[in-house]
Amino acid sequence: MPKNIALRSAAAIGAAVLFLSGCAQAPETDGASSDADYCARMVTNSGGLEDRSFNQSSWEGLERAADEFGIDAEAIVSQNETDMAPNVQQAVDTGCQFILTVGWELADATISQASENPDLHFAIVDEVVEGDNIKPIVFDTAQAAYLAGYLAAGVTKTGIVGTFGGGNQPPVTLFMDGFVDGVDKYNQTHGTSVVVLGWDKETQDGAFTGDFEDVNKGKTYAESMLDQGADVILPVAGQVGEGAAAAVLEHGNSSLIWVDNDGYETLPEEFRPIVLTSILKNMEDAVVAIVGADIDGDFNNDAFIGTLENNGVEIAPFHDLASLVSAELQAELDQLRADIISGAVEVSSPSTPE
Amino acid sequence: MTDTAQRTPAAPHKDINTGPVQRSWKAPIALGVFALLAVILFMGFGRAGESTLTLSARADSIQLVPLVLPTLATCYIIAAVLVAIAVAATLMVRRGTRVPLWLTTVFSILLLLGFLVWASAGANLPIPGLLAGSLGLAVPLIFGALGGVISERVGVVNIAIEGQLLAGAFSSALVASVTGSPIIGLVAAMVSGVLVSFVLAAFAIKYVVDQVIVGVVLNVLVSGLTGFLFSQLLSPNSDALNSPPRFNEIAIPLLSEIPIIGHVFFRQTLIVYLMYLAVACVYVGLFHTKWGLRLRAVGEHPQAADTVGINVGSTRFWNVSLAGAIAGLGGAFFTLGSVGAFGKDMTAGAGFIALAAVIFGRWDPIRATLAALLFGFASNLQGVLNIIGSPVPSEFMLMLPYLVTIFAVAGLVGKSRPPAASGKPYIKS
Repeated sequence: MPKNIALRSAAAIGAAVLFLSGCAQAPETDGASSDADYCARMVTNSGGLEDRSFNQSSWEGLERAADEFGIDAEAIVSQNETDMAPNVQQAVDTGCQFILTVGWELADATISQASENPDLHFAIVDEVVEGDNIKPIVFDTAQAAYLAGYLAAGVTKTGIVGTFGGGNQPPVTLFMDGFVDGVDKYNQTHGTSVVVLGWDKETQDGAFTGDFEDVNKGKTYAESMLDQGADVILPVAGQVGEGAAAAVLEHGNSSLIWVDNDGYETLPEEFRPIVLTSILKNMEDAVVAIVGADIDGDFNNDAFIGTLENNGVEIAPFHDLASLVSAELQAELDQLRADIISGAVEVSSPSTPE
Repeated sequence: MTDTAQRTPAAPHKDINTGPVQRSWKAPIALGVFALLAVILFMGFGRAGESTLTLSARADSIQLVPLVLPTLATCYIIAAVLVAIAVAATLMVRRGTRVPLWLTTVFSILLLLGFLVWASAGANLPIPGLLAGSLGLAVPLIFGALGGVISERVGVVNIAIEGQLLAGAFSSALVASVTGSPIIGLVAAMVSGVLVSFVLAAFAIKYVVDQVIVGVVLNVLVSGLTGFLFSQLLSPNSDALNSPPRFNEIAIPLLSEIPIIGHVFFRQTLIVYLMYLAVACVYVGLFHTKWGLRLRAVGEHPQAADTVGINVGSTRFWNVSLAGAIAGLGGAFFTLGSVGAFGKDMTAGAGFIALAAVIFGRWDPIRATLAALLFGFASNLQGVLNIIGSPVPSEFMLMLPYLVTIFAVAGLVGKSRPPAASGKPYIKS
């Protein structure tokens, strides 16, 4: 008998998987197709469309562009590294004029398709690549992280703040460089000596969990930082950061800075009281603007670099923790933002996109 | 760790039957190499300043004074003692005596202490936090390793621990969110671990499919299935389906007040206490009950077990299922015991480390637990040292847990023998 049960459950699970994977392939379509001449396709990386990160925000941008300009847009979701090149091929084969690829993993596929199809226009998110018909979309997150660092230094009561990353890669360390510099700026202005744990800009080395999945490790990292007295933590490690959120919540008297999107909105509700701010990348507006320009025949291959000036990067509202931020600190942040935009304050990092 | 050493004759009397006397130079050579490394590190790259080792957590009622050590002097003394121990070990082997285990243990502890003092020069290293984090990282590994021990002892290789952990993490988060009760979430984690085991057992026992292949396929299957359900079901409705309540910490009176270790071991969540219980039960069960005897018989010599009337197929089936339930509990730790919400592939290879702990622990529940704790300690040490700003590059530190595991398996365990019938399907003839 037990074998029968096992067999049945195996069959049931197998059937469920087949059924569900059938669902997964269903393409996301958008009804609007008034401008029949123009259509856009997007290819995700393996994160999927609901990754609460750049796939999701790029797709939201493309959906908005589809609404605004009345064009047809669809997304092709990659499941893993091996189906990325075929997916870009598939996007090209649809005959659409504009193809958006998301993530550095798609760079090779994008470059080879772009050189084979010089008439089509490509854009790639989060990677700088060379090509006459490829527009890179990147974000100078260090600028917003600089503001977040200044804010953290202004808010900390222990005089210690911390940051850790998922891996020692430029898109990650760009945040950490900006954060450290922001804290330094506060120290210079106010004669304080707020310490940043977990990142040394000089040696470009610090604390990394080694992956972007192990949430439990994120929690122990954050606990170690809290043990050292840190009371503001910036995890730059995707979902691993949720572990840091749990540690901060349990510890009390400390707060969290989230990255990529507004953690107050995207994290589970229980974490709302501890989200100080978030370092935002505004993918949506960038995608809408680029698609709009392409429809008007204004496509070029200059990299779009999201900055404070063009609203490509920003820090999120302080929500529940607004009481921690004094009016003077807010004024200093506003001044700093203006100075960064005007160039009076220069935010530099070895990882800054050019 | 002691078995291989005991087989080496202690006294130099020649015995033709057991071959010539072998002096085992393994211990002195290993100690010598590590003593040399310590000398190079502590003296060649000596660091000035003072190292502070904090011994009490903030919540402790008994506050110990932090240990403040002058870094350079402490390192020199420790290096000298390490060299002395290595020399003593060499002399002992020359004389024909065996290097006692306590000496190796003292050596290891001193080496570790020296490294900690060296790395924390000018900084503050909180020992309770270091230990608590180690336990936190080790808990899922221990559950996974216990599942692996039971499964392999009964004769089915369990590569699917990773899948069982992930299934447990997923279903505990989902069910606890829906019902609002972490206890029901825990039950759901066990059930889903068992379901994964059912598939493994059905294919391995009934259809005699290669167990390693079934296990690997199951891992991929569970990863894909939970990943899919996560993005389609949990992410869009995270408030309703992916915000489970977490277990609260329960402090055990008196025990939790013991300095240094009290906070670490006895101010924990229910899952951790269940883990202590599981280790004890599996150990006693395996080696001191009828159930354990039958289980091991089936894993060592299924034909003999069959001859005396034990139903090999069903014993294997139900014990593999039990193993799945235990591993599923470990999965629940990721969500209900640690961070709450489920995340895609959040177990991040813990199942494979648990598998290594099974082998490192020589298919023994207590040793496998110690192996998992060692790995947890090494992982957390790496994190803590990077945070306090050690001079070791982070890429190197990320290798530390794996390096320690490899050295420990190669150096301490030596030859290990799996249950004889592990991985071999039993076909009644």
